[in-house]
Formats: sequence, structure tokens, C-alpha cells
Amino acid sequence: MKDINIVIEICGSAGEGTISAGEITSRFMSSQGFEIMSFDSYPAEIRGFGKCVAHTRISSRQIYSPGKLADVLIALNDKHAISQLSTLKENGILIYDSQPARPHKEDESVAGWAKPGMISYGIPLNMLAHKASGNARGMNMVALGALAALFYVDKSPFTDSIKTRYAKKKQIVIDSNVNSFLEGYNWTKENIKKIDPHSFKDITLPKPKEKLIINGNQLVARAALDADLSFYAGYPITPATKIMEILSRELPKHGGVLLQTEDEISAIGAVIGAGFGGKRAMTATSGPGFALMTEFTGLSVMAEVPAVIINSQRAGPSTGIPTKTEQSDFNSAVLGGTGDCPRIVLAPADTKSCYEATVLALYLAEKYQTLVVVLLDFFLSNSIRNINIPEKPSSEYLDANIAPDKNDFKDYQRYKITKNGISPRAIPGTPGGMFFSTGLEHDAYGRPNYSEAGHTAMTQKRFAKFNTVLTEAPAPEISANDRDEFDIGVISWGSSAGAAHEAVMSAQKEGINASSFSSMMLSPFPEKALIDFSDKCKKILIPELNFSGQFAGFATRILKRSVERLNFITGRPMASEDILQKMREM
Amino acid sequence: MEVIESAYLDEKIETVRGIDFLQYRSQDLPTWCPGCGYFGIVDAFYKACRELNLKQENIVTVSGIGCSGRTPIFINSYGFHTLHGRSIPVASGLKLAREDLTVFAVAGDGDALGIGGGHLPHVARKNINITFLLFDNSIYGLTKGQSSSTTPYEMRTNSHPVGNPDTPLNPVKLALAYGASFVARGYAGDPRGLKQIIKEATLHQGFSFVQILTPCVTFDKENKTWKNLKEKVHDLNLRNEEKNMETAMRMAENEPYGVGTFFQDKERPHYQEILRNLNKAD
Repeated sequence: MKDINIVIEICGSAGEGTISAGEITSRFMSSQGFEIMSFDSYPAEIRGFGKCVAHTRISSRQIYSPGKLADVLIALNDKHAISQLSTLKENGILIYDSQPARPHKEDESVAGWAKPGMISYGIPLNMLAHKASGNARGMNMVALGALAALFYVDKSPFTDSIKTRYAKKKQIVIDSNVNSFLEGYNWTKENIKKIDPHSFKDITLPKPKEKLIINGNQLVARAALDADLSFYAGYPITPATKIMEILSRELPKHGGVLLQTEDEISAIGAVIGAGFGGKRAMTATSGPGFALMTEFTGLSVMAEVPAVIINSQRAGPSTGIPTKTEQSDFNSAVLGGTGDCPRIVLAPADTKSCYEATVLALYLAEKYQTLVVVLLDFFLSNSIRNINIPEKPSSEYLDANIAPDKNDFKDYQRYKITKNGISPRAIPGTPGGMFFSTGLEHDAYGRPNYSEAGHTAMTQKRFAKFNTVLTEAPAPEISANDRDEFDIGVISWGSSAGAAHEAVMSAQKEGINASSFSSMMLSPFPEKALIDFSDKCKKILIPELNFSGQFAGFATRILKRSVERLNFITGRPMASEDILQKMREM
Repeated sequence: MEVIESAYLDEKIETVRGIDFLQYRSQDLPTWCPGCGYFGIVDAFYKACRELNLKQENIVTVSGIGCSGRTPIFINSYGFHTLHGRSIPVASGLKLAREDLTVFAVAGDGDALGIGGGHLPHVARKNINITFLLFDNSIYGLTKGQSSSTTPYEMRTNSHPVGNPDTPLNPVKLALAYGASFVARGYAGDPRGLKQIIKEATLHQGFSFVQILTPCVTFDKENKTWKNLKEKVHDLNLRNEEKNMETAMRMAENEPYGVGTFFQDKERPHYQEILRNLNKAD
């Protein structure tokens, strides 16, 4: 059977239905059993006519990255599409409006900028939209109709997806969208001579299981609810806001409380307050908000109060670029703050692991009575995948507090020194368990104590938790682990891991003996596994989305060897093509 | 000799144990300076808890940083000494997650109105059901005598040796303007009156703001000294005033040393009630 592996980009102006067209395409392709990965980019400003791009990769096989270059570019707006041509493959297909409302001057039409080798199909998008519904609004649907006709995609299930998308709208909206699609479809069938090789004609995939079409933010919220979250406090910040918006509606239905605070300091403070009260609590933010929370992260660790922070990274320091993706908060999450401050940091590598990481974060925070940071990024927060419905966490993940027993209460020491660093934790309201917590260094009872021996013992206790945390986290993902030696080992983390894995698979096909390593657990880091992996590799490559190689610096300290770095700060997700190219050069 | 002394002490200890409000006092010895006003405040606090018959294990006192931050250590209940200026957010989260607990937030003037000043308007307008005790001695004590947000204009302090250039804030006026549903002022030198105010504040369903006038005997020799406070503090007999914002504001402006309950709105629902009503209506 022939494989499908195609990237479609729809490019338009804000308000032209660019994102909706991408969404409909994704949902339709998912319903047909394809793997999809889609990612929209749009301006940070709400109003105006900024450039929007809906990027969707469709494949009949498992995919791990969104694909760097597009096979198809649908231009709903010529001006924006001209600048998007740079990401269209050399033999890519351009679908453009051949009869725009206002005739183009010579250099205004995207078709005029297409490079030799590209295939351009001119469809009268605007004219057909007017014909279908009397206005230009249906242009996006006309374009999808043209796409379906060109690639031999069945029109009737496609129109069903359009109907589903607009199910809550008035009938006239549904009709005009479907009619626009059919106008585009029929016109293209009659008038366009197909010269490209893409075809969905003989592709029949097994009927897919019920899938969730979902992004990372939605999955984090879903996981938190499934993991018995009872309190959320937060402050709006791109790209994490959606988590709060979803929980605002859903958490009260589960008996929980959501608090929108005056700033991020208050948000993490309230989370720690709820954690002190024995309830599962979390907040979500991005770099600037995380910076404000830093002092409180130390309190969570010092006073041993559970707290979970989801940090969806954006680009740059300070306000940076709110709607671009980057992996530049590694240092602030893993190393930031004051003092020797052991905290747990998890970084899911793909959309579906956002669920697992959130469940794990709430569990580990409660059990180990400490801070857990989950590092997402703009790409993971917003890119959409079709995934199997995640299994709900088992009961052991839902009730993890180690409570004191009768013996402990005889002389209750809230911060009793134990081997694994976990002291039985009484919850306010428990008679006999009364204690006092402080951010000051303290003795086993919690009373301030600044002695040398005391500070050393308590610091050791807080770090002792690290010894067992690693046994509870998923082991690092290592490809081709059965081999003894690799020419190149690619070590990656977070959302770059998928692209790295895909690049390694391609490299192996090209005869490069390579393997990939990634760990969801960033702190504590599985150092032994990393060293073992490194020992097998002649060369090490660490690709990541930041300028200074934050993780590479961290890994170098563990490995005590030099590594090749590959860094991008383009604001786009990591591309497997770029990693592969670098591997070829190594 | 030793035996006699021990028997004498045991007897004394038994006598002290017999004083029932002392169950709320922890065994730790306060670290405050001899003569500090805070002794009067915690005394009033213990007695208020006793008279309200609060179960010790259901009380949580959350504090910030500064001399007032140590308060929870000296209370025999659950306590949490948090960050400078942040007792309000922590206490709010705790109360919203655990409605069954009685939650006190404690802060000094630097804590509540300086570094943590941004939290006060929001806890007040949300009407979160906690009791906020502002220990106001108009000086940074733990860092040894710098100007705070309530230090009088031109007063000499260690950070402003030629005189404080800043105009002080008026805490009661702020609380009223922010929409606190219970606003009162008490005095550390009158534990009985203060106990009454803390009781009312605790019983109030919603955000209760209590400014407590208290001296710093070590770093303030001219402003809120015991001598000055004894002279100036007087009862406004306002305890039965309710929902009269105009009177409350006027008193707040004109009576910086008047104690009593300036304002109380008993009808306004507290935050959890509001959430429940909204979610029910949806």
C-alpha cells in the first residue's frame, strides 16, 4: 500500500477562516484514520490583518514532528502567501485565487512568485465563494473543495466534517460552507488538469478507534481533572491561559475551586496554601509569570508543601515573543531560585505525554511534598494531535500523601529525618498533628533552627527525595538500545524529542548508525542512563530551541565530554530535517 | 533545695495549665523584645479563640516575614510562616480549598502595605472569608528600624536619618476603599477590647480587616511609643455601626488613634458563596 505523508499549509489574513479550514482538514483526516499533527501560527495582536498559517501534517504512519516544509500551500491571501512560499518544497503545490476581487498588479499575485518546479493551480476562489453564498466568506471552503478534488479525496465524508464543525451555527452558515466546498470541488474536477503525483485514491486505512483531537493545554486540564485536582489559581498569560479557561468551567463541576488572582505571585501562593491544606493544587504560566513565582518555589521546597506549576515556554527573555515557541526556560526551571533547592521538573516530549506528565506531577508533588514543574512550550500547548483516549490514572496515583500514624503522633515531628526524605505529613484539621511550617531553616518539629548540623541534615533530607523519585518516573526513551555502539547519539528533551527521534530513524535508513535519547525527567536527571548512552556513542548531538544550549551545558557537566550543539531560535518547532542534515555533516 | 524548687515549679505549671486559654499558646518562648506590643496581641488572640471555642486543630495562622511573622510559632495550632508580604495569598488558597478551617492571616505594616500591598485590594473585593490581622507599629523592626509604609512623614529612621520623605498610608481608609466587608482597629495595649474585635472579625463571614496599633519598643522612640499610644488611643464606640461608609470614612480620616469596628456588611456573600451561587445559576 502506498504511504501518505503530506504537509498542507493554509495561509491567509486573520479573519479569513484560515485556522478553521486547517481544523476541518485535521478532523476529517483523523476520521479517515490518518495521523495528524497541526500547528497554527498567528499574530499576537487580536485585531488587524496579520498573517495566519494553519500547518497540518497528515500521514498514514506514526509521526513525531510537524514537518518543516510544506507539500501544499493554499493561498487565501496573496500578500501573506508570498512570504510563506519560502517554506513550500521545491516541487510543492500552490493553490491560489485566479480571479481575486481586485485584479492583482504584476508582482502582487503569489503565482508570480512561485519558483520553477512548483506546480500552481489557479482556482477562482473568490468568484466561486460568491457564487455559492453571495459573499467572499466561503473562500476557505472553496479551497478545501479544490484540495479534495485534486487529491481524489472523497467529498461526502469531507462535507460531513464541515457540517460537524459548524453544527452549533445556523443552518444558513452550514449550507453556505458546504455549498462553497462543493463549488470548489466541482469546478476543479471540471477545469483543472492534474499534474502532481499526490493521491488519496487507493488509500484505505483501518477504521480508526475513537480519537481525541486535542492540544497540550487541553490535555493538561483533562489530566488534572482526572487526577483529582481540587484547586487551581492562575493569572492569564500566553500560551498557558487556555488551561485556566477550561478548568474555570470544569473544576467546579468536580467540586473544586478556581481562583483568578491579581498576579502570578498570588497564584502560586494560593496553590501552596491549598497544598498546605492537603488538597491537590496547581497553576499554569509562562516564563515571565514563572519568574514572579520563583520565591514561592523555594518555599514549596523548604516548607515541603506540594505545588505544581505548568510552565509553557515562549520565546526570549522578559516579555519576549509571546506567540512563538522556544525551550529557553530550562535553566530557570531546573536551576532557578535561591539556595540549594531540589525540585522535580518534567518535560513531556509530545502531546499525549502532557497527560502523563500532569498526572505524574500531581502525584509526585503530593507524595514527595515538594515543587513539581512541568515544562511545556508554545508548540506543545497549541499543536493538535489525534491521540487515543488516555487511560485514567489508577487509584495509587490519586492518593499519595504519606500520613502520620498513631506512633508518629506521640511526639509528632513534621520534618522527621527519614531515609527517603519523606516525613509523614499531617493535614490541618487532624488532632494531634499540629505543627508549624516555615521558609526558615528548621528542626524536625518545624521550629526555626540555624545550626550547622541542622541545616546540613535538613538539606540532605530534602535532596534524599531525589534518590527514589527517579524510580517512579518513566525511563528515558532510547532508540535501537540493543546495539552496542553508535556513530551519533542524539540527546534531546521536551518538544524537540519527536523531531530528534524522527531524524534518527531517517538517518538509519541512510545508513548512519545513530540512536536517540530523551528523558521526561529533567530534575532529578537520570544521569547514569545518560552516561551509559553516551559511552556507546562516538559523537553526541544535542538539538534544542534556545540560543545558548541550556540543556547541552547541563548535559556536558554530567558527561564531561564535548558535544555538538544545534540551536534554533526561529520561533518554529524543531524540524527533523534540520537535525538529519546536521547528522549528515557530522 | 532542688526538690523544693521542683515541687514549687510543678505547682506553678499546674496553675498555669489550669488557665484554659493557654491551651492556644505553644510551648515555644516568644522571640519578641521585652515590652513588645505583640505580647498583648497574642494574648487577645488566645482569649478570642477560647471564647469562640475554636478547636485548635481547625485553626491555621498564616504569616509573612518580620516580627509579626513569628506569631504562628507561639500559637498551639497549625501555622505557616510564609514569605514577605504573602500571607494573604497563602491564607486565601488555604481557605478556598479548606472551607472547614478557621484561617487567620497575620502581617506587619511592611508586610501588608509595602511588599505585599498589591494583595490587599483583591482579597477585600473578592471577600474571601479569612481574618486579617495587621500588626501596625509603623517601622521595620526585624531589619532594625527602617521606614515603613505607615511611618509618619519626617520621622527619623535608620533608612531616613534626616527624616522620612514619604507620606504614610492610612490602613483603615485603604481597607474601606478596597471594599473590605469588615474593617476594625484595635490596640495592643487593650487586650480585652482587642479580643472582642478579633472575635467579631472571626465570626464575620467574609474578609475581615483588623489594624492593630502596637509599639516597637526597640526601634521607635518617638511615634507609636507606649506613652504616646496610652495618651492618644480612645474607643470610638463604633461597634454597632454597620454599612455606614460615610461615617466610617470620616472616622478613618479624622481618628487615627480611634479603636472600634468602623464598618461591617453582614449581607454580602463571601467568595465561596458567590462561586456556589454563580455555578448554580449557570
